[in-house]
Amino acid sequence: MSLLEITNLNLAMRSYEGETQILHGIDLKIERGEIWGMVGETGSGKSLTGLSISRLIPAATGRYLAGAIRFEGTDVLNATEREMRKLRGRKIGMIFQDPTTNLNPAFRIGTQLVDVALHAAEHDPSVLGLSGNASRRERRRAARQVAIEMLGKVGISDPAERIDAYPHQFSGGMRQRMLIAMAMIGKPDLLIADEPTTALDVSVQAQILRLIHQLVLERDIGVLMITHNLGVVAQLCSHVAVMYRGRILETGPVRTVLKQPSHAYTRALLAAIPTVHTKRGELRGIGDIMAEAG
Amino acid sequence: MSLDILNVTKIFGPARGGILSRDEGFRALDDVSLHVPKGSSFGLVGESGSGKTTLTRCILRLENLTRGRVLYEGTDIHGLAQRDLRRLRARLQIVFQDPYASLNPRMTIHDIVAEPLLIHRDLFRLSARQRSERVLELLEQVGLRSEHLFRYPHEFSGGQRQRIGIARALASRPDFLILDEPTSALDVSVQADVLNLLHRLQQELGLTYFFISHDLGVIRYICDDVAVIYRGKLVEQGPVAEIFDRPRSDYTRMLLAAMPDPDPDKSPFRQS
Repeated sequence: MSLLEITNLNLAMRSYEGETQILHGIDLKIERGEIWGMVGETGSGKSLTGLSISRLIPAATGRYLAGAIRFEGTDVLNATEREMRKLRGRKIGMIFQDPTTNLNPAFRIGTQLVDVALHAAEHDPSVLGLSGNASRRERRRAARQVAIEMLGKVGISDPAERIDAYPHQFSGGMRQRMLIAMAMIGKPDLLIADEPTTALDVSVQAQILRLIHQLVLERDIGVLMITHNLGVVAQLCSHVAVMYRGRILETGPVRTVLKQPSHAYTRALLAAIPTVHTKRGELRGIGDIMAEAG
Repeated sequence: MSLDILNVTKIFGPARGGILSRDEGFRALDDVSLHVPKGSSFGLVGESGSGKTTLTRCILRLENLTRGRVLYEGTDIHGLAQRDLRRLRARLQIVFQDPYASLNPRMTIHDIVAEPLLIHRDLFRLSARQRSERVLELLEQVGLRSEHLFRYPHEFSGGQRQRIGIARALASRPDFLILDEPTSALDVSVQADVLNLLHRLQQELGLTYFFISHDLGVIRYICDDVAVIYRGKLVEQGPVAEIFDRPRSDYTRMLLAAMPDPDPDKSPFRQS
């Protein structure tokens, strides 16, 4: 059984202008220990695929026309809300692009981490290392200890003191690491990271990539990394899926796809990145190449 | 005929305290000197908080300097009278990073691009019709069409919006363009088109570019010279090929090493 298996996923979204199909038959399989990169341009459906996995597409606007998502055998699209709550933030960890909007500015970092730990412990008391009948105070104390450990693990120095800081006292990179700590606290089996380094400096980005890589080695989790940066994919991912207008054009091991791309669009995407050898004026936009390819 | 930044220091604050207050304020720029030759592309690289944006604000005199001078073609920008400063600003324009935030959502493209012509109307003296003709000419120059004239910013994609920002910057016929991370909000495919547009415009109009970016690949592609700035201090500067191939400072080496290479064989994680 795969960790995650998406088969023939078709999603339509409703707006004032009517219903538009966004995803056209997405197939994707992720095993433990694999880091999947999902690349594509704005609007190609990368993020909506990621949100679908934890069923976070609002039911009022989104409708699945066909397809299935199985996470460790659970039928995600037909699970009850109660079952989903056990998966989200617990078996499936999520990191989003913008750490500033995804943290509550009014609460201390520790409070936010402790909340996540306590919530995860409701489904699995082993997260706190306590038995099921521990008192509330004991659980709080243990949750705080777990939060401090996680902060240390994601490379924040003096975690025991930093835990009482507010988000605005952290830098962008520290906030992003805190989101990773939050996602990892429930000991997820699958981590979905949606553009986790896009807003960060390259030096901080390198730290975050190293951190994710380390987590995969230590815990044998699966990762879906949504990004438009092919450099990040080349460095970190073991596999890659290229998306274009709601379809997956090409999938495979990262070396195969990036070194011998079989699809014209993947080649175009690679040709659009300026490298050391690109002469000025020689860079080619996707429009030119896709027009030539027909 | 160039821009010279001479020993510029900018200190924010200090908060006013008693006479014994030790608060010295925040040193955003520390003795920075740069020479940007006319007609070239000059790249400025640095991480967030390094002082890149403060430096551009100092060039445009949106901030006053604590020490130092900014000379444009030999004239000290910070010594000019308001009137002369306004005239000079027509020739020094800027394209902002975020094409979503830098265009007024309530104005049509025509009005956005025509605004610099209105602000500098004493320089151009155009009738309403002439202004509209000039706007059309500008839109065509950046690859947009006449049917776009009376649309609003939300009807455009990120790449198109950045083209509108470029058209607006070119309206007052500048010879010096500050590009503050003009492609960092765009997809790589769109980025390639915008970079090529900038290259073409430079050749056609003989512009001087002051290009700010944290993407070293982009800087290498578009710039002749580059300066690396770290915590308000200049780390090193020189021709692009020299700095990238033989960086002298540890900081530049670190930056270059941290750039994710699109070649999977160069991954530090797959060495084993």
